[in-house]
Amino acid sequence: MTLRKRYLRVTHLLFIALLLIQLLPDKSTKEVFTGSLIAFAVGLEIIVLGASSFIKKEEGVSLLLDIAGFVYVLLGVWSLATAKFNVLNDLLFPAPGKVIHQFTEDRSAILTNIVSSLGTTVKGFILAAVVAIPLGLFIGWSARVGGAATYITKFFSSIPPIVYIPYGIALLPTFKSVSVFVIFLATFWPVFAGTMSGVLGVDKKIIDSAKVLNVSKPEMLFRVILPASLQQIFLGCNQGLSVSFILLTSAEMIGARDGMGYYVKYYSDFGDYTRTITGLLVIGFVVIGVTFLFNKLQNRLLRWKR
Amino acid sequence: MTTNKIEIKDLTVNYIENKRSFNALHDVSFGVGRGEFVSVIGASGCGKSTLLSVLEGLYTPAGGSVQIDGKELHGTGTERGVVFQHYSLFPWMTTRKNIEFGIKQSRHDVKRSERAKIADEFLTKVGLSGFGSKYPSQLSGGMQQRAAIARALAMNTEILLMDEPFSAIDAKNRVVLQELLLKLWEGDGTEERKTVVFVTHDIDEAILLSDKIVVLTAHPGTVNEVVNVPFERPRRREELVKTDEYGKFRNRLLSLLYSDIAERIGGDEVVL
Repeated sequence: MTLRKRYLRVTHLLFIALLLIQLLPDKSTKEVFTGSLIAFAVGLEIIVLGASSFIKKEEGVSLLLDIAGFVYVLLGVWSLATAKFNVLNDLLFPAPGKVIHQFTEDRSAILTNIVSSLGTTVKGFILAAVVAIPLGLFIGWSARVGGAATYITKFFSSIPPIVYIPYGIALLPTFKSVSVFVIFLATFWPVFAGTMSGVLGVDKKIIDSAKVLNVSKPEMLFRVILPASLQQIFLGCNQGLSVSFILLTSAEMIGARDGMGYYVKYYSDFGDYTRTITGLLVIGFVVIGVTFLFNKLQNRLLRWKR
Repeated sequence: MTTNKIEIKDLTVNYIENKRSFNALHDVSFGVGRGEFVSVIGASGCGKSTLLSVLEGLYTPAGGSVQIDGKELHGTGTERGVVFQHYSLFPWMTTRKNIEFGIKQSRHDVKRSERAKIADEFLTKVGLSGFGSKYPSQLSGGMQQRAAIARALAMNTEILLMDEPFSAIDAKNRVVLQELLLKLWEGDGTEERKTVVFVTHDIDEAILLSDKIVVLTAHPGTVNEVVNVPFERPRRREELVKTDEYGKFRNRLLSLLYSDIAERIGGDEVVL
């Protein structure tokens, strides 16, 4: 890639356009924190420039530039509509600089809430995986009950897990444990069903190969059937993970005392829409981050599939 | 009492499909001597692979017996190394790990630390040195079968069971693999040769490799004839196929293979 190609991209022009927009006089009656917006944009631009000289693959650089370009356009339009021309209700629509400023102001509270949300999700999710995977392996492998288990799983996984919340509140001592319980249920059934369908789908030739090597029963389950059905298991895990976030944030909005869902609900009740929007964006980033890491793990464990 | 390594006597196997039982093998009897290379050939559906599944211990016969070293065969066992047509190797293990796993299962005396060394040694023998950390999906079909052979040999079993190992390989590579197997099995004469039962539908493959060829006839699978292969070892394909004897022998096998079809055509039984 030539230097010209690398540095003269439309993204950088969009960055400059965003800065020029900030020179326009503010019309909003509220504080707009133009400084925070500029600091954020400059920071992003530095990261983009730095990364684009490090990333080897051209597609990687283009992707990064396109995403940054989208962010600049969004921020530009947003600040025009709010701070600069004040065409939107400035109570409901805070200026972008204000949201960025709010994020830095509240960062420790936000971090605590993220940790709380993630802690609950991870607990419920791991608990479900640890129970569902071995159980799915055992039941899927014992062909006699396998068929019945498929129907039973279909029934239980058709119940939207959120309806367990009221009953969970009656059963369990803290709202935290109710959240863990609901995430457990939401993850358990798809992972269990995925594991079973994985086991039932293992090629007979692979099982024969293992049998002629005289593998023991635990080895058959955990060194042969488990890796052979791993892709289906991950399918179930992915499903469980995405439902978990929906459930968790919903549960947090119903009755929690912390977590990202609580943050959003709490401040929107007060009409603090700057914090509400901040919370929404943070949840987006957290979910994307977790999904990204989980996909990394999946690709790593399934790297033997071409 | 003969001193055959494997003794198959009156073996009968019934398959149950759609609640109807049909006779896959009927009264099959033959012996495989110690260190002998025996091929089983026959048209598809003659039960040759079923016969091998019985020897592998994956299938229980309805009648008759299989004895190894005079002892009745029960289930699978690591005194028999197996190479299948597909999926002999676990796709989630590297070729080296696959071989190490095989060694772990069959040779309890080998220490964990030595397994990798033995694995690499056998990978080199089959021409796969440097491919130890590749996954099976990263190898061609021919290379996968090389690795499967390396594992079977590394397991150091006295018996080797091979179920159409080269049938899914293209013609050119198949020849290369046949010669590799021949070379590895014939060895340099210092080690005792393994007892091999090799299932194939390729007549030339069977002639090149075997001491003895068992010709099966279909519906139900019965032994048509057991033929001794008259060619001296070590064998060289190029020289062998040029001789008149080879052509005659090949024709004889062909007529045995298709005799049942010919008979049925003679009796107006076949609708083609």
